[in-house]
Amino acid sequence: MSILKLENISKSFGAVQALDGVNLSLDAGEVLGLMGDNGAGKSTLVKIIAGNFKQSSGSISFENQNVEFLKPMDARNKGIEVVYQDLALCDNLTAASNIFLTREITKSFGFIPILNFSKMFQRAKDIFKELKSEEEVRMMSGGQRQAVAIGRTKLSQAKVVLLDEPTAAISVRQVAEVLELIKQLKKQGVAVLIISHRMPDVFAVSDRIAVLRRGKLVANKKANESSPEEVTALITGAIESA
Amino acid sequence: MKKKVKIKVSNLHEIGLLIALISVLLIFGFSTENFFTQRNFMSILRSASYVGLVAFPMTFVLITREIDISVGPAVAWSGVFFVILVKWFEFNYTFAAFIVLAWGLFLGYFIGIARTKLMIPTFITTLALWSALRGYSLFITEGRPLAISNKPFRYFFGGDVLGLPTVTWIMLMVFFIFWFLSKYTVLGTNIYAVGGNPKAARSIGLNVDKIKIITLMITSMFSALVGILFVARVSSGNSTVGEGMEFDVIAAVVVGGTALGGAVGTMTGTLLGVLFIAMISNGLIHWGIDPDLNKVVKGIIIFLAVVINSNVTFKKNSGNKEE
Repeated sequence: MSILKLENISKSFGAVQALDGVNLSLDAGEVLGLMGDNGAGKSTLVKIIAGNFKQSSGSISFENQNVEFLKPMDARNKGIEVVYQDLALCDNLTAASNIFLTREITKSFGFIPILNFSKMFQRAKDIFKELKSEEEVRMMSGGQRQAVAIGRTKLSQAKVVLLDEPTAAISVRQVAEVLELIKQLKKQGVAVLIISHRMPDVFAVSDRIAVLRRGKLVANKKANESSPEEVTALITGAIESA
Repeated sequence: MKKKVKIKVSNLHEIGLLIALISVLLIFGFSTENFFTQRNFMSILRSASYVGLVAFPMTFVLITREIDISVGPAVAWSGVFFVILVKWFEFNYTFAAFIVLAWGLFLGYFIGIARTKLMIPTFITTLALWSALRGYSLFITEGRPLAISNKPFRYFFGGDVLGLPTVTWIMLMVFFIFWFLSKYTVLGTNIYAVGGNPKAARSIGLNVDKIKIITLMITSMFSALVGILFVARVSSGNSTVGEGMEFDVIAAVVVGGTALGGAVGTMTGTLLGVLFIAMISNGLIHWGIDPDLNKVVKGIIIFLAVVINSNVTFKKNSGNKEE
């Protein structure tokens, strides 16, 4: 059963047709790799799902209900979380503060609500055992920063997680950590949409691969029935569709 | 599990500042006759307290990457406005104070709306206010002090309680509130988040504009409060008070370790910065240095503080670079 379903989504910016009749669905516990060249419409599609943009036409349904996301909060409230390429972390805050930003746990101090640090640190630790929740993010490696950003999605018990280029700017060892995190999300029944340029990473975790070219969906098939060579050809246009 | 005691860079700055503060205290104390007297300490505390009352909220403003340079004229106008309400309109003191504080909130709201809706940098808006508020205060009072006679008000708020200036007690209370806000509340965390990475804060749903407006409103309200407290001290609404106060406030905050680029800063640092600036001003007078040269020395200090800040604090401690 699909948790998120996009039907005939189009988006144009003035004369530019960024997306053209895209149909895509995502199942719980499924990892979908979304690929395409720069300007193919990947980011636009993610931004529509996340509520940053409104589609020009087409409909989105979430858990079989038609939904309309006017702002990012609308999507978040439904359980759709985005891990942005730049991770959207505040370097001057601790890992726990970053994870709990906008969702702080408070306790009552007299009649004043104050931050409940011990509870937030504890919950942050439950989410990632290896995470140093009291450490400031600026001290962390790229992989740890990814873990913090993904930690946010775990905190909210997201049903759909969109990852924008999660392995673009980190070392090989950290890539392995991030891919492991994605597998954990999948195991917990979260639907994951991963956008990436890095073919091996996408094939390492994805159940299904979708390819966008110039705003059109040209492929949507099981990863084990495709190959990096085929996907490359689809991205460049050497193969029309598959 | 053992808790590791880590000295953070911000603590390092505070420790350094504390050492500098004590050194300055000793240097002035042993090189002049009247520095180490109760009267002089009261005087230092008093001037530090007026600056501190605005410096704590200003720390928040700087952390969110904004600035308010209209403090001095806002203080002067608030005092004049307060006396006008009391003298010309015959409002009672409490009600007049309430109106002036509300006016302060409105002023900050105006600066905040100009920043968030019209995209006018706070530096520009408050620069305009800096000129306008001083000018209007001078115009409406014709440059003369408007005297008040209410003794209880003057003696209590302009005088001493339990061995310390009343304004110092108020300042310490306000310090505690801001220290608490910065460390233990959602608002405090949000202020640091906005300064650390405004784009990220916005993208995960924080109302960045609202937080900036709140910090600016609080700061202007405290400028208004200091205006009222100055009236009690000098027994009049005076259009010339608070001259250069914005400089002392911002200097104290920056010396206290807050980065002008935002993201970094503590209330303890600001408290130390406030005491440091007040002590230097006072000590230089005891050394018999010309008041005009006093300003030169303060200028050098703020410059050095920023140099130290950008080399010690900023590199390791700042927020994300991108806006």
